[in-house]
Amino acid sequence: MTWTLLDRCCEKCTHSLENPCPDYIECRLSGPLCHDDERCRELRRRRLEELRYGEKGAKIKVPMASCTLAMGAEAVYRAVEDSVKKIGLEATVAISGCYGLDFIDPWLELAAKGMPTAIYANVKPSDVPRILEEYFVKRDVGGAFALKEKTGAAKGEDKVPLLSELGFWAKQYKWVSRNCGVVNPESLEEYVASGGYRGLSRAFKLGPEATIEEILKSGLRGRGGAGFPTGMKWRITRQQKATPKYVIANADEGDPGAFMNRLLAESDPFRIIEGLTIAGYAVGANQGYVFVRAEKPLMAKRLQKAVEEARRYGLLGKNILGSGFDFDIEVILSAGAFVCGEETAMIAAIEGKRAWPRQRPPYPAEKGLWGKPTAINNVETLAHAATIMAEGAEKFAAVGTEKTKGTKMFCVTGAVKRVGAYEVPIGTSIRTLVEELAGGPPEGVRVKAVQVGGPSGGCIPASLLDLPLDYETLQSAGAIMGSGGIVVIGDENCMVDVAKFFLTFTSAESCGKCIPCRVGLRVMWSILDKITRGEGTEEDLQVLRQLAETVRSASLCALGGTAPNPVLSTLRYFMDEYLAHIREKRCPALVCRALITYRIDEEKCIACGQCALNCPASAISKTEGGKYRIDESVCVKCGVCYAVCPVKAVYKVSGAG
Amino acid sequence: MVKVKIDGRVVEVEPGTTVLEAAEKAGVEIPRLCVVPGLYEGSSCRLCLVKTPTGRLFPSCNYRVYRDEEFLASTPDLWEMRRVNFELLLKFHRIECWACERKSSCSLVQLSKELLVDGIPVCSECPLPPSECLLLKGELCLGMIAQSGCNAECLVSGGECWGCRGPITREDVLERAFARYKELGFDVKDVVSKAEIYWNSAPGFATVKKVAERVAGRG
Repeated sequence: MTWTLLDRCCEKCTHSLENPCPDYIECRLSGPLCHDDERCRELRRRRLEELRYGEKGAKIKVPMASCTLAMGAEAVYRAVEDSVKKIGLEATVAISGCYGLDFIDPWLELAAKGMPTAIYANVKPSDVPRILEEYFVKRDVGGAFALKEKTGAAKGEDKVPLLSELGFWAKQYKWVSRNCGVVNPESLEEYVASGGYRGLSRAFKLGPEATIEEILKSGLRGRGGAGFPTGMKWRITRQQKATPKYVIANADEGDPGAFMNRLLAESDPFRIIEGLTIAGYAVGANQGYVFVRAEKPLMAKRLQKAVEEARRYGLLGKNILGSGFDFDIEVILSAGAFVCGEETAMIAAIEGKRAWPRQRPPYPAEKGLWGKPTAINNVETLAHAATIMAEGAEKFAAVGTEKTKGTKMFCVTGAVKRVGAYEVPIGTSIRTLVEELAGGPPEGVRVKAVQVGGPSGGCIPASLLDLPLDYETLQSAGAIMGSGGIVVIGDENCMVDVAKFFLTFTSAESCGKCIPCRVGLRVMWSILDKITRGEGTEEDLQVLRQLAETVRSASLCALGGTAPNPVLSTLRYFMDEYLAHIREKRCPALVCRALITYRIDEEKCIACGQCALNCPASAISKTEGGKYRIDESVCVKCGVCYAVCPVKAVYKVSGAG
Repeated sequence: MVKVKIDGRVVEVEPGTTVLEAAEKAGVEIPRLCVVPGLYEGSSCRLCLVKTPTGRLFPSCNYRVYRDEEFLASTPDLWEMRRVNFELLLKFHRIECWACERKSSCSLVQLSKELLVDGIPVCSECPLPPSECLLLKGELCLGMIAQSGCNAECLVSGGECWGCRGPITREDVLERAFARYKELGFDVKDVVSKAEIYWNSAPGFATVKKVAERVAGRG
């Protein structure tokens, strides 16, 4: 067994699980603290170097997170193992988390002593032997995508940019996601080596009151959507007389298009475990729960593993780091209903009941799990708390806006070139995020709107892209911060259809407990459906708005309270599209099937017959002129001809014309 | 004791009392459907919502008062919200008052009168139990398709309903009503011509005729 940083360096070390040393964490990196021995210091130095370059002086990192696995990271991993054997390389093959830059998946990171650490993007298994040979044998980094640092020793180095100089990286402020893609998510040692658990040690030195004070000073607000000051939540929970108390990490990320919690938990799970431990210490809880979606199995697995590792090294359990504080965590799998992310529904689910939300007050801070005071925080919030405790409140509060400090992770998906999760200071404009970081829309597409805050957020039109991303601004624009999902909607989308899409999701996810949400959303959906079929009236719009307002204010929980947002915001910014559907029976974006007609431009048609061959309704036939024509009375508007035409002679029209 | 002010009326109650109980004590009426104290307090129906002076909404059945507080229970926007909400609830209710035993003890009927919601027929107010329905005796009564709210004056005095308050326009109710007429051996055309006496120029009559034709056409 190799010696790891988490082990005792020599017999003089007094640390043991039974009698833990309060300086254990600090001692790992800058120790030994209790005795002075050059050999023990050397042991640490050597191990840190090993973590970086592997035990054999060469290290290959393959990212293993859901996003990279989906892009074939496992095959890349196998290819790496094979070629290492084939070339006879002396190299360590390790796994890591993901940077959140989905457009470079799967990537490889190669490191060797005396070489700049290089990242290769979009690696195919077949590329692996060549890349390994170039880097390790020819010592040429010319083909890399980006470098982490420059050493001046490798070939082709001047041609490759530094990661930190690239547009999508330079504008980011890596605070909570600093370890994502950098460390091995299954190794507590690497987390500690990267500065992990310093926050918990500091919290123990400060005491619970001062820990809450520090979080309050940082200005951290809940990153799960509502933006309640985290320190305040902890203080209220702490002040409750009832015991025992509980803390819960809300890892039930359910917004389509939002994956920052998954990314954090899969790439840096120990930070969340540390954050939850700090929360437990601050509020006076001895039991914590991580409530995680069963549909995100890797996320759950990594969190479970992190809990076990932390327990093994005494960072969970009795008398953690000699502080006298006992704390343990249980990972609970959610059954996967969207409403489980609502805190009172989550509590019901953990208690083994049907996941129904209940009316607040009383808030969970007063009466939560098993009727006891409970602090529930989002995964990102907890990770922030751990980082704040390690780095200090001032550093966190240095960025952000007047009202909201710090950074937030945003997931940008939809019509952009670089889909990914980006961490930026709060108050960054939507435009910076969409255009500079995510690279703007692909060729030939214009941004029509951005949906901020997931299915319960609002559609913000392209004209308002300069709005800063913070809780209050988004709210007044009709959207919400939510968990931070941003879906960029290109001009090929119909906004009525978009609103209907989101309502399809929320009305299906309504738990059914209260009338406005259960029935109101369904009725709203059917009105939207009527409009997309061209059967809507202007009176329908009034009813729709009235229903939306009622559902928003009368619903029991935030699901119903926010679900009308896509409708209200599209009514506010895209009224012209609604009216085109109603008055002219026209879908301006040529999406709504009932309102469009497919035609063939005989000028462009090359009579290849592909359309007629593929038409499922046999609606396309040859004209006398040898070209093809669609019989509108037979056409089922499936769009196959439009998709298969090699010269784009098939076009869509809507309304009169 | 704490002081609760509801719509300007002040009552003193024990701390921990719900706003709904306080309102009852103060004589302020708040509609509700789902709360059964001690059995179900899940605030599902959302009809008993009240407002704080700052505009926050709480279900009065569930919100407990621990300090002096003020609530508004009867503002126009609250009633409008209740109406929309109630209409939503009623939307999925299979209205068949002619076959229902509850009649005047039905809270849906009572609320729909208060909130002026369409769809509840005169049958809901008829003093005759379903087993003694005039239709069973072959008398053509328009109760099933006529808007309630008259306390079924004609039926109380021994006659049949002529539909003087106008037609119901909810198609699913009309549909079931006409099917019932047919089932009992009435000609749908006769029903429509009797209705024409009062409803010829009523705005909803077109819908009635449309549904009648549809049902008659089903053979």
